[in-house]
Amino acid sequence: MAHKMRSLLTTLGVIFGVAAVIAMLSIGEGAKRDALEQIRLLGTNNIRINAVKLTGDKAREAESKYSDGLSYKDGLLIRSNVPSVRAVTPIRFVDAPVMKGNKESAARVIGTDHLYTEVTNFSVDDGRFITPLDISEAKRVCVIGSKVKRELFGFRSPIGHRIRIGEEWFRVVGVMETKRLREGKASIIKIRDINRDIYIPITTALKRFRDEEKPFFVNEIAVQVKSAELVEPTARIIRRLLKRTHREVQDYEIIIPAELLAQSRRTQRVFNIVMGSIAAISLLVGGIGIMNIMLASVTERTKEIGIRRALGATEQDILGQFLNETVLISATGGIIGIVLGVVMAKVINIFAGWETVIALYSVLVSFGISAMVGIIFGIYPARKAAQMDPIAALRFE
Amino acid sequence: MLIEAIDLHRIYRMGENEVHALRGVSFSIERGEFVSIIGPSGSGKSTLMHIMGCLDRPTSGSYILDGTPIEGLDDKRLSRLRNRKVGFVFQSFNLIQQLNVVENVEVPLVYMEMDRHERRERALQMLEAVGLGHRSQHKPNELSGGENQRVAIARALVTDPDLILADEPTGNLDTKTGQEIMELLKRLHEQGKTLIMVTHDLEKAKWSSRFIHMKDGKILHDFRDTDGADIVGMFYESTAEQEAQ
Ligand SMILES: Nc1ncnc2c1ncn2[C@@H]1O[C@H](COP(=O)(O)OP(=O)(O)OP(=O)(O)O)[C@@H](O)[C@H]1O
Ligand SMILES: [Mg+2]
Repeated sequence: MAHKMRSLLTTLGVIFGVAAVIAMLSIGEGAKRDALEQIRLLGTNNIRINAVKLTGDKAREAESKYSDGLSYKDGLLIRSNVPSVRAVTPIRFVDAPVMKGNKESAARVIGTDHLYTEVTNFSVDDGRFITPLDISEAKRVCVIGSKVKRELFGFRSPIGHRIRIGEEWFRVVGVMETKRLREGKASIIKIRDINRDIYIPITTALKRFRDEEKPFFVNEIAVQVKSAELVEPTARIIRRLLKRTHREVQDYEIIIPAELLAQSRRTQRVFNIVMGSIAAISLLVGGIGIMNIMLASVTERTKEIGIRRALGATEQDILGQFLNETVLISATGGIIGIVLGVVMAKVINIFAGWETVIALYSVLVSFGISAMVGIIFGIYPARKAAQMDPIAALRFE
Repeated sequence: MLIEAIDLHRIYRMGENEVHALRGVSFSIERGEFVSIIGPSGSGKSTLMHIMGCLDRPTSGSYILDGTPIEGLDDKRLSRLRNRKVGFVFQSFNLIQQLNVVENVEVPLVYMEMDRHERRERALQMLEAVGLGHRSQHKPNELSGGENQRVAIARALVTDPDLILADEPTGNLDTKTGQEIMELLKRLHEQGKTLIMVTHDLEKAKWSSRFIHMKDGKILHDFRDTDGADIVGMFYESTAEQEAQ
């Protein structure tokens, strides 16, 4: 029993090492799924252009160059100058409370145009979306997300009813379909719940919720490209175009969904290096600990080795016996480490808010690593046992 | 012929020191013989037993067991030969303390790669044969010395080897228990096993039909057909003769 306790203590290194590997892989997997989710929501044929808020020197530089951020006009420019583009739609966030009677909704108001549904592949479930007429006449109509509808109207149809956005009244003309989002908390890449969006005509947004300094400012421009192969070259053209119109001021960023995966991997690299080092050091320390205990065990059991050899065990048999024991110890540590790692991943998810996913492959990889540690650090004690002179071993007391 | 030894030498090297444990030993033993080896401490008896049991190799000379010269056999073949053809019985029993009695008896069968079920059956059978069937689940330290040695004999017999090598099998036992073990060994001989026993005790040597007198790594005398003969007298004669030279 004391022996078992000692073995368990020496496997602590392996336990922590494996736990670190599991946690690291689960965070990586979580980020990957986030990125994939993001890609799914943005559409693979799309390019997103996001406004970037500048601060300090950069803001002053932007002012001196008369660049007033991403604007509706950039969208129109792209539409008319880039032939590989199928559709362009602007997105402007309107910072105003949404009320119905005295019920307030935590909805996000977005000014956009009739092409939004086409570009984002997100369609209306009931009623209609914003039409070109709504745009040209800057009508006060809105299309609400399914969660907003449930919040403000319950199970009744909201079509034709009015809601208040800021100081203005808007007539509800449609309800969006429900977009299924992966459950889970905030992640490395933020995903907003688009079921909580309310859409109003972009012209209405610019006019009624006017920003005096930047009257044509938009937060995002979504660009749909004709085919997936054209995404890269189109992004290049847009980059060049915007560079010119913004006079080299980087007050926007161009996001290619297909690249998000690589990007999330890049942001994770530092984290992986840290976790990987912790894992490697723990496994090394654990491995040396196990080697030590096995060396002690080989000495303790010299007599047994002699007896087994006299009864017909080959060197190979003895080697196998001790190697088996080492692998058993480290694999047990590995299993405990996997359990600890799963718990750690959960804790990280709860406290750091990062998405973590335990994939089967990461469990298998971790288990494999722990078994490998057993083999690598077990080989020396096992060889020592196998190469013992059987007669000297038999005479050992 | 079961055993043939020709001019065996065994030199132990420990750094600068060399111990010449065997200095040219030649003899042969037929199948079914019961031979005892007698001689003072350090005369090379155990060394010779180890070579005969394929646990050790001679530094020079050749040893042939059941027609197989062990020279040039690799570890695997030598171990296999030892496993199938030889059963060791030691003075200090040499049971594995962590294993229970039946598991101890099973060990040689593990290295024969016999399946678990058959192994257990054989081991229990062997324990019955030495009268310890009822103690199969006990640990060695719960048994008396005589019982321990019976377990060791069961273990030596479990692979049905041709040759039983017993190195002072009664050395750690009292007279009465020693007697019982001798009776057990005698019975094995009667059943056709070839038995070689090292002993310090001339009384025990009387049980055999041949006795080899060793000294300083050499055979002084090889007495054959000693049934009923005056072994004690022969032994002292042999010793005196050697001292006279
Ligand atoms: N492994 C070893 N290394 C070095 N010397 C050894 C080794 N084994 C035996 N010897 C030496 O070889 C000689 C013969 O030893 P051996 O054990 O064969 O004697 P023995 O006749 O069995 O003696 P005993 O009656 O005391 O058991 C002794 O001098 C012993 O010290
Ligand atoms: Mg001896």
